[in-house]
Amino acid sequence: MNNEHKRTRRKRLAALLMGVFAGAVLLIAFAVGGRVATGQSAPARSGSDSVFSPAHATFREALVHFLGWRPEPEQPIPFPHRTHFEEAFLGCTDCHNGAARGPIARIPSVVFCMDCHFDIATDREPIQLLTSYYDRGQEPPWERIYGWNPEAHVRFNHAPHVRRDIECSVCHGDVTQMIVAEPAVDHTMSFCVACHEQNQASIDCVTCHY
Amino acid sequence: MPRWGMTVDLDRCTGCEACVTACHAENNIPTVGPEEAARGRAMHWIRVERYWEGEFPDVRLKFRPVFCQQCDNAPCEPVCPTYASYHTDDGLNAQVYNRCIGTRYCANACSYNVRFFNFHNPEWDRPLDLQLNPDVSVREVGVMEKCTFCIQRIQAARIEARADDEEGAIEDGALQPACAQSCTANALVFGDLDDPESRASRLSRSPRGGKLLEELGAEPSVTYLQKGDWYESGGG
Ligand code: HEC
Ligand code: HEC
Ligand code: HEC
Ligand code: HEC
Ligand code: HEC
Repeated sequence: MNNEHKRTRRKRLAALLMGVFAGAVLLIAFAVGGRVATGQSAPARSGSDSVFSPAHATFREALVHFLGWRPEPEQPIPFPHRTHFEEAFLGCTDCHNGAARGPIARIPSVVFCMDCHFDIATDREPIQLLTSYYDRGQEPPWERIYGWNPEAHVRFNHAPHVRRDIECSVCHGDVTQMIVAEPAVDHTMSFCVACHEQNQASIDCVTCHY
Repeated sequence: MPRWGMTVDLDRCTGCEACVTACHAENNIPTVGPEEAARGRAMHWIRVERYWEGEFPDVRLKFRPVFCQQCDNAPCEPVCPTYASYHTDDGLNAQVYNRCIGTRYCANACSYNVRFFNFHNPEWDRPLDLQLNPDVSVREVGVMEKCTFCIQRIQAARIEARADDEEGAIEDGALQPACAQSCTANALVFGDLDDPESRASRLSRSPRGGKLLEELGAEPSVTYLQKGDWYESGGG
């Protein structure tokens, strides 16, 4: 009885120590945010290094991907979806014109925006900012809201869904009411597979992973 | 549901290796450098083997492109502890990268030596990364990979075919993997083996046909065509 008591206490102490250790590692990782020494030049998927590699550039990046955290997207211009639906009478595929045809829906080019905004709301600050991008021949650096980490190896295709008349809102929420597009739906694997099973669509792994 | 297969006409192959290059470009396959290659870690989903036949001066050079044989009774599949390597309904040996934990049992079991392990994270000097195919994953360290019969093209063709009609039949010849598409000698032919009229299916019934290491019973989906006695000339 006494022995057993000691053993559980030792186990608890070990668990506590491990917890403290893991916590310390996390703290250090975030404080330093530094490179993991690989013995080679540390490449980056997204950085400005001279090599491209699927390796995580920092331990922090690896951890963030592992835990599935996503930072709040910060858009260069607060693009109001609702205004364009209610006042400009634009449908989703007027702007996202790839959705019915192929894998990506496409974010419209600033050239397309300027068709209207040469004349509309030119006195507002966001539109002046938009015009300055256009004048410099640049696209506003829109931040992505949806999408997976590269190591999830997911291949999505809009076309088969749009052709089967699946509403955008099923996967993106009611964007017509959003001021700035926000992640309304969690694109987990079970979200995809549940609907595929209901509709006799393929649930073969290589339908979505290759 | 089609059953994908290929035929390789060894009497046509010139050993030019256009298929190897096309495969690398299409499938984001890295080059590993001389040191790693010397350790047997080169990654070529398709390789061209070279054989000399006859005695000097009557010698003949023969080439044999070898890639995943997409076996019906694949030895790589049952050994995978995570089901990362599995068989699809259309007859492919699929490899699910995010399911793979890198045991390398499958490569060990493969009789054709056509599975490749990422011992390191692949690297591309910028701006060469801009040529990566966006329809194909970039595989990371610790993952096994191999010829997929260009699954990205198969999926795209399936989706396109179903847009046109309900049945979604893919026309013979409309879909080709990168190697067959780039083969200048038309030695590689890809198609549905369950369609008796497809070119690949007709060629695979040719009397010139044979399978690599057929006696092992893996039932490959790839048929090699060659004049003369298949076994005597070292085909089998
Ligand atoms: C006037 C053009 C326009 C129209 C019309 C439009 N969008 Fe957008 N959409 C954009 C722009 C520009 C962005 C990028 C800015 C942002 O993410 O806030 C965007 C972003 C998005 C995103 C986020 C994509 C991502 O992953 O970053 C979704 C989802 C989206 N739109 C869905 C819709 C839907 C659904 C509709 C129809 C109700 C629609 N959009 C109508 C221009 C438009
Ligand atoms: C069909 C014409 C049309 C197109 C194309 C269009 N817009 Fe607009 N936009 C409008 C209208 C109409 C308004 C509402 C103006 C108002 O409030 O008076 C508006 C309002 C805006 C506003 C809000 C301005 C404010 O602060 O009140 C922003 C920002 C904006 N648009 C950005 C864009 C961007 C970015 C694009 C390209 C992706 C785009 N628009 C494409 C017609 C258009
Ligand atoms: C079956 C679910 C589904 C439906 C239906 C759907 N989307 Fe998407 N959408 C996604 C997913 C998943 C992504 C992220 C894909 C990625 O990053 O590879 C995405 C990404 C996007 C993006 C940003 C990236 C891109 O592809 O350009 C836009 C814009 C977008 N969707 C608009 C739309 C519009 C407009 C519609 C309706 C016509 C629509 N989507 C319908 C699932 C869906
Ligand atoms: C609301 C239902 C629904 C959701 C949610 C959905 N899908 Fe689909 N998906 C379908 C249907 C229905 C089809 C079959 C279309 C057809 O028959 O052409 C399909 C087809 C596909 C295809 C092409 C399949 C083929 O046979 O080649 C891919 C790839 C795909 N979905 C990926 C995804 C992914 C990834 C997600 C999650 C982000 C997702 N889908 C979410 C309904 C859905
Ligand atoms: C209809 C599309 C679809 C099918 C079919 C599908 N998956 Fe997924 N899978 C996804 C999506 C989307 C994610 C991303 C989830 C996320 O990141 O939250 C995912 C994530 C995963 C992950 C986790 C990857 C990671 O690193 O986060 C694994 C493992 C996985 N899938 C394995 C499989 C296997 C094995 C099969 C076949 C039995 C399969 N999937 C079939 C859509 C699919």
